[in-house]
Amino acid sequence: MRRTVPALLFVLAAGAALAHGPTPQKVDQTVTIHANPDAVWKVVGPFGGIGAWHPDVAKVEATGGDAEGGVRKVTLKKGGTLVEGLDEWKGPEHTYSYRMSDPDLKALPVSSYSATLTVTPDGDGSKVEWMGRFYRGDTGNEPLEELSDAAGREAMNRYFADGLKGLKAKVEGGATQ
Amino acid sequence: MNAAGTIRRGFVQRMRRRAMLAIALVTVSGPVGSAGAQDLAVVSQQGARVSRIAAGAVRAALAVTASPAVVAADASGRLYISHPDGHAITVVAPDGSARHLPFAGQAFGLAVEPDGRAIYVGDWSGNRVVRIAPSDGAVEGEVAVGRDPAHLTLGEDGRLYVAERESRSVGVIDTRRMVRVAALSVGDGPFALAYDPIRRRLYVANVRSNDMTVIDTAGGRILATVPAGPSPYGVAVSADGARIVVTDQHAASVSVINADALSITATVPVGKYPEGVVIRGDRAYVANWFSDDIAIVDLTSLTTVGRIPVAEGPRSIVAVPPAAAASTLAGRATPGIAR
Repeated sequence: MRRTVPALLFVLAAGAALAHGPTPQKVDQTVTIHANPDAVWKVVGPFGGIGAWHPDVAKVEATGGDAEGGVRKVTLKKGGTLVEGLDEWKGPEHTYSYRMSDPDLKALPVSSYSATLTVTPDGDGSKVEWMGRFYRGDTGNEPLEELSDAAGREAMNRYFADGLKGLKAKVEGGATQ
Repeated sequence: MNAAGTIRRGFVQRMRRRAMLAIALVTVSGPVGSAGAQDLAVVSQQGARVSRIAAGAVRAALAVTASPAVVAADASGRLYISHPDGHAITVVAPDGSARHLPFAGQAFGLAVEPDGRAIYVGDWSGNRVVRIAPSDGAVEGEVAVGRDPAHLTLGEDGRLYVAERESRSVGVIDTRRMVRVAALSVGDGPFALAYDPIRRRLYVANVRSNDMTVIDTAGGRILATVPAGPSPYGVAVSADGARIVVTDQHAASVSVINADALSITATVPVGKYPEGVVIRGDRAYVANWFSDDIAIVDLTSLTTVGRIPVAEGPRSIVAVPPAAAASTLAGRATPGIAR
């Protein structure tokens, strides 16, 4: 079953452009890191720097810098590209918000999303929250299982969780060297 | 106590008893008396609940079919709830009893005549608005509209407005004939609507262009485009028409807009991913979809003065007659309430 999914997603990808379904879903992942928020933000803050810490990312092309309108094209190791644009980037507050421009069901089985990443103090260390809102891959009434709300939740939560695990390893690994 | 009070108290007790029987899950917390001028009804999508709020607390929560999206109310306090994935509309009577109307499409936006005689349903992926009968859901008429119809709202003279999200337009429907008589170009991604009968204006929240279009409905023209915050997803206008509140979904805030100056007077932080909003008196009530609560925004001090926890994923919020007085309002058309 699993093996047939990528081919199926690829075939359906063309039909989903600009789809915004009526039933949004949540994604919410957090991680605690043994480093102060400034040190964590130095790694995670640069919008185009996701390739330095997210283990699923193969390549990033970024334009526009860390400001509203900045864009990153994130190519994943498994294939597929996420084009994401910054809505807001607040360095002093250690947070940025962005949204997907064009869906790529090969990358993630969702038709649109917005997300916010925030670093806050947590005891002697930091807490990083990466949360957002997305719509399933097929926003019609009878989505295939691979493009359902559940499939979207699984993929988005996994992508965010993988990223935060990678971020933690990157920051804590760097701190102990 | 006078006769009317006795009858009303009897009704409340009867209603409570019936609600306990009819409702799959009831939670009561906080004060149960002093309902205030209006109650609120909130629909939580993931939690699949409609919660009744009075005097700043949830009085009851009714379990409904999965993934409810939009709630509307008629003047008698009856609630109408759309289920985009469920091919259905739920109708909840003031006593808490619920029934389902079938809908052959992806029901999202809803508007109801104040007297409850007709329900208008936006079919999101069907690009049409359908008029159905409240008794059995029978289709009484339909009209093709722009792409991805989002929220609907009733105006005057039998006009129904439709936010046509992917067509960047607002459709104007003559409900007597079910004909789309006009379309007005607005911003990018029009989603939510609010009608002000005093200034005869329609306010349109545009999700992607981060602004609000102001339509002069009498003249059928665009009056202004007002910049709002990131991703305006909800809009409400005060009863006197003086203030407009827009939810800025991607900034966890609301923009308070002066209707005369047509500019933002304040930005007030609320919860995460705010969506639906309603204004009662000096307060705006904001459904925070991600935070699972309702923010109470004081429009005088321009601060959030309270948060009311509700079931997961509150999206849509509407004012309804207080439960205790619902029976006395039955049959009295109060135009302000259906919006």
